[in-house]
Amino acid sequence: MIIAFAVAPVVLVTLLIGLRGVAAMRTTSDFLVASRRVSPLLNSAAVSGEYLSAASFLGVAGLVVKDGIGSLWYPVGFTAGYIAMLVLVAAPMRRSGALTVPDFAEARLNSPALRRVTAAVILVIGGLYLVPQFRTAGLVLSAVSNSPYWVGVVIAGTGVAITLALGGMRAATYVQAFQFVLKLVLFIVPAIWLLIHVTPQTRHEALHPVEFTRFDQATTVEFRVGTTLDFAEPTPLRIGDATRVIEPGRWDVPQASTVTFPKGAEVPKIAGEARPGGEGWSRPLLDLANAGHPLLGTWALVVALALGTMGLPHVIMRFHTSPDGRAARRTAAFTVGLLGIFYLFPGIYGVLGRVLVPQLYLSGATDTAVVALPAQVDANWAGSAFTALLISGAFAAFLATSLGLLLVVSGAISYDLLPGGLRRLRVTVVLAAAVVVLLALQAIRLDAGVLVTWAFTVAASTFCPLLVLGIWWSRLTVAGAMSGVLVGLFASSGAIAGTLWGLPVTGWLAILVAQPAPWSVPLAFLTMIIVSLRGRPASWSRTAMLRLHLNEDREQTAADRLRALRERAQSSQTSRS
Amino acid sequence: MPGHKRVAVMSPQTRLAHSRRRARGQWRVPKLAADDAVRAAELHRRQLRLAVAPLALLFAGIFGMPLLFAAFPGLDDVRLLGIPVSWLALAVLPYPALTLLAGWQLRRAERTEDTQ
Repeated sequence: MIIAFAVAPVVLVTLLIGLRGVAAMRTTSDFLVASRRVSPLLNSAAVSGEYLSAASFLGVAGLVVKDGIGSLWYPVGFTAGYIAMLVLVAAPMRRSGALTVPDFAEARLNSPALRRVTAAVILVIGGLYLVPQFRTAGLVLSAVSNSPYWVGVVIAGTGVAITLALGGMRAATYVQAFQFVLKLVLFIVPAIWLLIHVTPQTRHEALHPVEFTRFDQATTVEFRVGTTLDFAEPTPLRIGDATRVIEPGRWDVPQASTVTFPKGAEVPKIAGEARPGGEGWSRPLLDLANAGHPLLGTWALVVALALGTMGLPHVIMRFHTSPDGRAARRTAAFTVGLLGIFYLFPGIYGVLGRVLVPQLYLSGATDTAVVALPAQVDANWAGSAFTALLISGAFAAFLATSLGLLLVVSGAISYDLLPGGLRRLRVTVVLAAAVVVLLALQAIRLDAGVLVTWAFTVAASTFCPLLVLGIWWSRLTVAGAMSGVLVGLFASSGAIAGTLWGLPVTGWLAILVAQPAPWSVPLAFLTMIIVSLRGRPASWSRTAMLRLHLNEDREQTAADRLRALRERAQSSQTSRS
Repeated sequence: MPGHKRVAVMSPQTRLAHSRRRARGQWRVPKLAADDAVRAAELHRRQLRLAVAPLALLFAGIFGMPLLFAAFPGLDDVRLLGIPVSWLALAVLPYPALTLLAGWQLRRAERTEDTQ
């Protein structure tokens, strides 16, 4: 039931906009003027609307529950990325006229091969970003509707694919900006309601974390996938309808089982993970890969996020709506402020989630902590209502980001990699969504925040050096750009693959494998610079770069220039008479 | 007032989907008029110099703060309104700081363009 009330309106509205484009029908001249005068504030709301994904809405709070306060470095990195964007990329990128990085590569370096390679990188980034969106949407949908995980993922995937295939995303800047406001309200209002309605004791416990060692009430956990728990004492469990005593040691929880832990029992451990609230949980540092080097882990993460933002394909696309480079720069600056408002709140859900729903960590479902909270605070209609609000917010976040990303990914396939047209684009969208669904089905145990961070890492190791050097360094050559992008791509995705397949590394080495940005980004930059210096840039290379820095104030359209001429002629006439 | 045809205002993505074929066209050698080239070179030089300070501040912040937290674990026990100071420093402080940094750099970059 709750699904129908929470998700249906969001999907319906998106579909309606997709089908009819009703939201903003204007006359041609209005449109031309409007597109020149979309205010940077509105535009930055649209950027934020597209940027705030399920990883921000649900993932950050989930990671706080699981890994601790240090997870709040994720949103800091997500926001800091826009400073790098503002300083280095926003205005010149807009002036290049490119909508995507492949476009930029072509405009700046005129290399079809580089165009195809960057399109392939978009597929990697898009995939890493889309899978957690689908996974988390599926997880939430299946959790609230009590259906298997795959049903949730398939529903989410179908919704996105249909919306896109039917109408493309005709969401104007206004609609995306509205999406941002919607998400903001649906995130902030329940947070404040929660803060008011939790008991003083919960509030106290939230601020004085202790390790989650004993169940303080009989607790039921849904295991959607099998997992291995480590019991320290004999524990009588109710599994489905049967009751069974588990002996100390490891026990493999069967897939799709409902297990009830008795009150007072000791909480089992998961191999390689600390229990919520344990040692280090309350430290504002992030111990990546449980490697025991929280400082290095935090640095590695923040570098990846701060440098990766500028390379995210769906975000770059949004900046194109700005009328000129100056407005694009303003958009980036305002986005920092808008994101800052939103990111004040995930921590609240996180610390409350650790007190009220720590058991989610057992089933690897901490990403559902945000939507699980209202029911813990209020068992009546109010709790259900706020759950519904949060689910629609999460679904809006999932939809906005997924639509943009799927379109960019499909565009890369059907324009940059294959020759094709609009019809092929629609087919590609459906196929791409299907592939993402299949991948998401395998990814249930991977936290949204972690996967999204890998997308940032790949972007930071490939597109960040390409854009920064392409915009600021006239000596960049095609060979340099190409080798740098390839080295960055293989270094970052190789390390990520190593983590996924469980490379046996420990200590600081484990951090550099789990989060390769600290070495893969400098490596990509160095490769680009060294290979470029060994070659010769094209004769027009410097002009191609300088063009990006010329502000538009004096560079007007032909019509403007004509009008200016006419005005000047008129004024000189009047002054003469 | 010419052109009262009604058209849908689309997202850049959809516009891309509809128009990319036409927009791509043939690549042309980039050209700049002589005076524009001089101005662009000057802007490029100045903006590059302006970029150093905000990036240095940004990275000083994101490298320095974890260092502070690691060096002074006592910050976890100092409480403001019952909340550990280190939590506040991570959950609240960065956002106004980043917003100020963004505003500052925006003004500097725009002023440079205005005076050129």
